[in-house]
Amino acid sequence: MTRILLSDKLDNCVARWRKAGLTVIGPVKKETFSSYATVENAAEFDLGLVMPDRSIKGLFFPQTEPMVHYSIKKQAIETRDFTPPSEKRIIFGARPCDASGLAIDDPLFGWDYKDDFWFQRRNETVIVTIACTKADDFCMCTSLKLAPDSTKGSDILLRPLQNNRGWQVEELTDRGREAFKEIADLLQDGSEPAAAVAVVPEKFNLDACVAWLQNPENFDSTFWKEISMRCIGCASCTFLCPTCHCFDFQDEGDTFTGIRRKNWDSCSFALFTMHTSGHNPRATQSARWRQRIMHKFNYFPGKFNVNSCSGCGRCSRQCPVDMGITETLQAISTLQP
Amino acid sequence: MSESFEPKIIAFVCTYCTYTGADLAGTSRLKYAPNVRIIRLPCTGRISPMFILKALQQGADGILVSGCHPGDCHFTHGNYHARRRWMVFRTLLDFTGIPSERIKFSWISAAEGHKFAELINSVTDDIRKLGPFDQYKNLIRETEAPATL
Amino acid sequence: MTIQEKYKARVKELLSTGAVKMVIGYKPGSTAERRRPLFMRSPEEADQLVLDTACIANLAGYLVAEGLLSDDKRVGIFLKPDGIRSINILAAEAQLNIDQIVVLGFDIDGQEVNALEGESAGDFSALIESIKDHAPEAPRNPLIEQIEQMNPIQRFDFWQTEFSRCIKCYACRQACPMCYCRRCIVDSNQPQWINTSSHTLGNLEWNIIRAFHLSGRCVGCGNCDRACPVNIPLRLINARMGQEVLGAFDHFAGMSETQEPVLASFKKDDSETFIL
Repeated sequence: MTRILLSDKLDNCVARWRKAGLTVIGPVKKETFSSYATVENAAEFDLGLVMPDRSIKGLFFPQTEPMVHYSIKKQAIETRDFTPPSEKRIIFGARPCDASGLAIDDPLFGWDYKDDFWFQRRNETVIVTIACTKADDFCMCTSLKLAPDSTKGSDILLRPLQNNRGWQVEELTDRGREAFKEIADLLQDGSEPAAAVAVVPEKFNLDACVAWLQNPENFDSTFWKEISMRCIGCASCTFLCPTCHCFDFQDEGDTFTGIRRKNWDSCSFALFTMHTSGHNPRATQSARWRQRIMHKFNYFPGKFNVNSCSGCGRCSRQCPVDMGITETLQAISTLQP
Repeated sequence: MSESFEPKIIAFVCTYCTYTGADLAGTSRLKYAPNVRIIRLPCTGRISPMFILKALQQGADGILVSGCHPGDCHFTHGNYHARRRWMVFRTLLDFTGIPSERIKFSWISAAEGHKFAELINSVTDDIRKLGPFDQYKNLIRETEAPATL
Repeated sequence: MTIQEKYKARVKELLSTGAVKMVIGYKPGSTAERRRPLFMRSPEEADQLVLDTACIANLAGYLVAEGLLSDDKRVGIFLKPDGIRSINILAAEAQLNIDQIVVLGFDIDGQEVNALEGESAGDFSALIESIKDHAPEAPRNPLIEQIEQMNPIQRFDFWQTEFSRCIKCYACRQACPMCYCRRCIVDSNQPQWINTSSHTLGNLEWNIIRAFHLSGRCVGCGNCDRACPVNIPLRLINARMGQEVLGAFDHFAGMSETQEPVLASFKKDDSETFIL
């Protein structure tokens, strides 16, 4: 016997959570574009998507965030800090890869300096993940040793029922249990079997790739130049990535007053590493693409013991020139370490 | 719209004609609306569309761009170049919903002090009637608020 | 022989005789509908070449990649008429020497791919001329009409909704053959004319400035529109600006390597009905 949430109760759940003061967020498709967005009722959800076009990252680490307001006076500089806005939220229908992405970034945002903006939002958000029964050509979670039903980063995991009438509920954290207390009477006991999870074929041998990347001789391999020749240097892969977390500080305003903001930045941009002198240590696009791959599969795991990729495949799915991590790692797995 | 609304208008003018025209309006003791902040540039050819966006970004309700009459440019044809640019930029702003009524263009020579004073008055009146550029100001306000997700 | 095989043979010939040092074309992509850019430096690499109705990307932007044309050797490239117009503009703006480019021209007509006669950009001037002549009667995007019929407040709202999705990944800029500036205006901060942050105001400013810089230069290849990961209909703005310069100045971008840029030239009798 397991606890079951029936789809026709979902609207009641949304109402209940909203009444309890939670902002309810989920996959929403508007015309040609889908993202995780705030909803008022369950009808707005689009739970049939393989995954929303935009990853979950922006809900915790927005593309632009004001940090401090400054004004320069004659004798002093006055500053006013922005504090992380407080909002209790529940994300219903997150994808396992998106939820994993958050867990991957947790150590990064907390290892030396604890990023209040990230953790306040993390602590105030309940993540209800639905296991995938559908995948597309770009999904690659299994290649990253994750799965279409990974629990990583989730507070609740829902497994779709075979008869499509609802989900089996798996409570994973106290935060999840707390939120599901609100709707305890809307759940029922049941023994319906869960649907089979999506089949995501393994696309590359991660261990072989990592071994190749860790060999210092391969840093200057001609492979990098060949694989990234068509890269146009935009940031759509990094910005849609659920784990890419680089940012830049920008002052917006005039000489005397303005706002210092934290904006997404990308290792794909030539300006990312440009020095004031004009020297650029990553002068070519191939050096930039190498950095992205090395960072995800060599440097990041070296520091935090986890790969900085959750296998959502968005980088390849929407690349203007059809590049991506999948193709690169596939090519690397065929090379001698 | 409240009666007390006074628009903020930025005028980008060339130093040889319109600015001198404004000077003439001043020395002739002509009275005109105080809503316009004048920014003097060497030539209308120097007035980049970015200036217009910057003015809007800083909260302008209306913009005036003005220079020498065709044929009178101190640099021979800076104003001809500018004219083309404005034509295209106006269409672009219009298409993206920034009303062309808020962005005005004129030729005012160094001798046209009267025209300058009249134009400032009529432009101010027009923009006052349109009211504050609320849509744009909402966007500016949004940049000063904590991030919403 | 199919057009693909014919061109494959031609590419091999060009590479094996040393007439060109590289040919830029297409190869299969990660799904059946996708094609990827292919850089061929040896005749063997031409075996991967694909030429079919899915080859829609404009590859012209790769020609201005740093160093590619700096050794005076020639480079071959597969281009549709929009791509040929792009290299005309790049040449007119002194970004490349058009004599270094060997054009492998093709056009997509419904389900068919046709070869275009000629190998240097100038060989296609009659073709581009006829495209220009037919431009005014080409069907307009109904959405453009719809937007024009809105009042300014609705138009502003329409674009605000579209631009609020922008994440400033600059895929539009990077995919565009016309955006070759080493330092883009949005990356310049002394002075900082437009906001780099990706709030709606910054997004609006960015998209307006980009559209302005492309006015009279955009050939409508659609690279930006397809590249946009958040599906902002950039083609609408660029197409509208294309109509404007055609109507107002009889300018059709990319006619020839000597065409004057529309915003760097003028006529004394240009329209000025809007000037007070």
